[in-house]
Amino acid sequence: MSNNEKKGFLDKETTRREFLKLSGKGIGGTFISLSLLNLLGCTNTNVEEVAAFPLAQGVLIADRARCTGCLRCETNCSLANDGKAMPYISRIKVSRNYNFGTDGPKLAYAYADGAFGNKLMSPETCRQCAEPYCGKACPVGAITTNEIGARVVDQAKCVGCGTCTKACPWTMPTVDPETSKSTKCVNCGTCAANCPTGALRIVPWEEVKYAMRKLGYKA
Amino acid sequence: MSTGGWAGKIIRVNLTSGKISSEDTSKYQDFIGGMGIGYKVLFDEVPAGTKPYDEANKIVVGTGPLCGSGVPMSSRTNITSLYPGNDKNLVTDSHMGGNFAAFLKYAGWDAIIIEGASSKPVWLRIEDDKVTLEDASSLWGTGIYNTTAVIGSTMGKESCVAAIGQAGENLVNLAVIMNGSSHSAGGHGAVFGSKKLKAIGVKGTGSVKIGKDKKELMDLDAYVMKEIVGANNQHVVPSTPQPWSEFVYENSRWTAREGLTWGASEGNIDTGIAAPGDVNKVGYRTMKAIKDLGPVAAKYTVRMGGCQSCPIRCHAQMNIPQLEQYGVSPYAANTCMGWFSPAGVMFKGTKDQKEEGDGNMITRALGSQLADDYGVWCNYGSIGRDFQYAYESGILKNVLPEEEYNSIPWNLLEAGDPAFLKEFYRRVTFKEGEFSHLGDGTYHIAKRWNFGADYWDTKKYSMWSPLGFPKHHASDESYQVGAIINCMFNRDAQSHSHQNFISSGLPVDILKKIAEKLWGSADAIDPPANYTPMNQYKAKFAKYGVIRNCLHDSLTLCNWMWPLTASPLKEREYMGDTSLESKYFSVVTGIDTTEEELDLMGERVFTLHRALTVKEMGTTDMRGQHDLMVNWVFDIDPDKKPFTEGTIKMDRDDMQLALTMFYKEMGWDEKTGAPTRATLEKLNMKDVADELAKLGLLPA
Repeated sequence: MSNNEKKGFLDKETTRREFLKLSGKGIGGTFISLSLLNLLGCTNTNVEEVAAFPLAQGVLIADRARCTGCLRCETNCSLANDGKAMPYISRIKVSRNYNFGTDGPKLAYAYADGAFGNKLMSPETCRQCAEPYCGKACPVGAITTNEIGARVVDQAKCVGCGTCTKACPWTMPTVDPETSKSTKCVNCGTCAANCPTGALRIVPWEEVKYAMRKLGYKA
Repeated sequence: MSTGGWAGKIIRVNLTSGKISSEDTSKYQDFIGGMGIGYKVLFDEVPAGTKPYDEANKIVVGTGPLCGSGVPMSSRTNITSLYPGNDKNLVTDSHMGGNFAAFLKYAGWDAIIIEGASSKPVWLRIEDDKVTLEDASSLWGTGIYNTTAVIGSTMGKESCVAAIGQAGENLVNLAVIMNGSSHSAGGHGAVFGSKKLKAIGVKGTGSVKIGKDKKELMDLDAYVMKEIVGANNQHVVPSTPQPWSEFVYENSRWTAREGLTWGASEGNIDTGIAAPGDVNKVGYRTMKAIKDLGPVAAKYTVRMGGCQSCPIRCHAQMNIPQLEQYGVSPYAANTCMGWFSPAGVMFKGTKDQKEEGDGNMITRALGSQLADDYGVWCNYGSIGRDFQYAYESGILKNVLPEEEYNSIPWNLLEAGDPAFLKEFYRRVTFKEGEFSHLGDGTYHIAKRWNFGADYWDTKKYSMWSPLGFPKHHASDESYQVGAIINCMFNRDAQSHSHQNFISSGLPVDILKKIAEKLWGSADAIDPPANYTPMNQYKAKFAKYGVIRNCLHDSLTLCNWMWPLTASPLKEREYMGDTSLESKYFSVVTGIDTTEEELDLMGERVFTLHRALTVKEMGTTDMRGQHDLMVNWVFDIDPDKKPFTEGTIKMDRDDMQLALTMFYKEMGWDEKTGAPTRATLEKLNMKDVADELAKLGLLPA
């Protein structure tokens, strides 16, 4: 990470994207821990744990070490948001990486991510990007920001074209084949509140900023 | 049909013709799903006298209305077919957890009926409505792990695959069908093999609909997670003193405590104080790794794992670098018998390598990987005991050709070297020599090698039935109740309804209070090794056990957790909630159903099992020819009398009375134990009664 990028961490899309790429494999919690800072690309091993500020706007982060692959988050998400059990449109994605990680099966699967490999799950979450790829790409302007800052799909406007799915670097928004409307994370927190191992947390962005400041980044 | 729960469709695949069709699930609605559909298909469509590997045999892979709905502990696949492990060719069920069942629902299917036999290896590909047979010739001969990876690369990483290994292909009677890296169903792998069906791959983009308001379902979940669910096997008391509990029970699977960590996880995650009510800690309650692999296993534990929808994580996920010296991956996962069985093969013990207990852990982990990849089953641990008996009695030396006997590296077995397992499982899987007949199953091997009466009549070998299946939570743990349940099925009983309750960890006086509420008297249960003669309350308890087991395998719920008879909460007086299955059923399907009504459906499923057994055996004499127990049950502790303190010894007359009382509870003929026309008609199975009448198989 260059100095230039350090200064404008939260403003620089490229760096932010690097962080967000990592965060799916990361730790969230009441504390910004060393592990989370590592996800931010920081490798300073002297970083102390710092207390969190419970602010509203945040990002859902999964701790892959705690994730046991029970997939309750996927059914809880779709039950809460859609009234049916439908992991395909769950806003948190765990099952698609269950056996072989995010990259899928390869010859050395026994040593790669997943149940058939190193046993680590690869939960993927929506980053609620500052400048959301999904929202910017939507041809009908159906993706907007709600009262808690989450980027949400306006079901009335959505035409189910799937442009948001393709635009998202992590393929997170998903068009529900039963309604032909896109779905994405609204930061409702149902998944996190009901995770049997506390592997999911919504971390306020302010916590990330604070942690970065402690590290000498301008945020 | 209802508005929720069921997908509404069943796949029928004829492997002889290659025809694939869709059928309406509603015709099986009286039988719920899973096990119920399996029995109905076999009763209606597979003629008596059919053998397991005949083209006429069918195999039904089924789920139920609650599966995939998010109801806790609901991703169970029930597989029903004829069982090759003894000469009676009777119906059995094999079960697997994992993700397969739920994924099948999301693809829009409740079950798969597989019939006929293919002339060349095939696998079944299910992507939502698109169902096709694919060429499996390049997969034939490969293990389950590689098969899953190849199909996963073909269908997409999000697919789930149920496959057989080389054991199933080679028609080893003791073979499994497995999905995920550790979820296997024992006894029907070779039925797949006989049909040249290598695997079923499934992925789905659909949903399980909820008949009522989603809020009702989520409220029920919250109630279960906060107040009712315990640890694995619904143990509700911790294994070590905990601030939240007034009791301790050393054998409990509620192991969470401060300082017990997933030692190979990033950050050395502490299982900590996982008190009742803390929903974000439920998944830490059971650290089965230390139960199954010993205390040494803690530091090799990456995490716990298990099945879709289940908050109780009973499958240990391990990183044991020492495994690499045997040519397998350091990563291993399993639970219970998957770990125990290889240790049974290594009956001479295991030698530690670096630290105390690691030999045992390495043995179990190596054996579990070999057995799972080859797809070898163990007849609930019997394969090791059969081997032990044959070896120690000298039989093996007599029956094996000298050259073959000398080719087996006995020194490894004697030295406790796990490398012996590679020899063992390879020979069984590839049917190498006479030795490999250990994979035929106990009944066949005992006959072939002429096992003595001491094999059957010594508790050490754990046999329960002359049909060649072992005890599985039988009279040694719950007396007449366990004995009745162990007599009812055609393989080892996989019913945990009774066992989970009595081993929940609660003191017996509390259990007795719960028993009084549920079955009418505290006398339904006995304190350990101090049991009383048979009474009608025990018959009711046994009926509860069997019927709930059948309900769970039809709904489909995990009977290793359900029913939730006890609770961890003192303020509930430790009462669980036996109405939960019916409440979930009502909310998910949208069909209001009481506990009694749902139990009646379980009774229907189990009575159909009985009718099917009568039909397949060609006799109504269940008491004399089916509900049999080996002699140690009655002859153990020669110096003691039944009903005295300190013995599990049963009384022959009392057990016959126990069967009579149970038959009566079920509405079966009290003399023979066969279902009567009146009971079949009461359960809305007039067609079954008519068929049995036609065959002369209704009791007089």
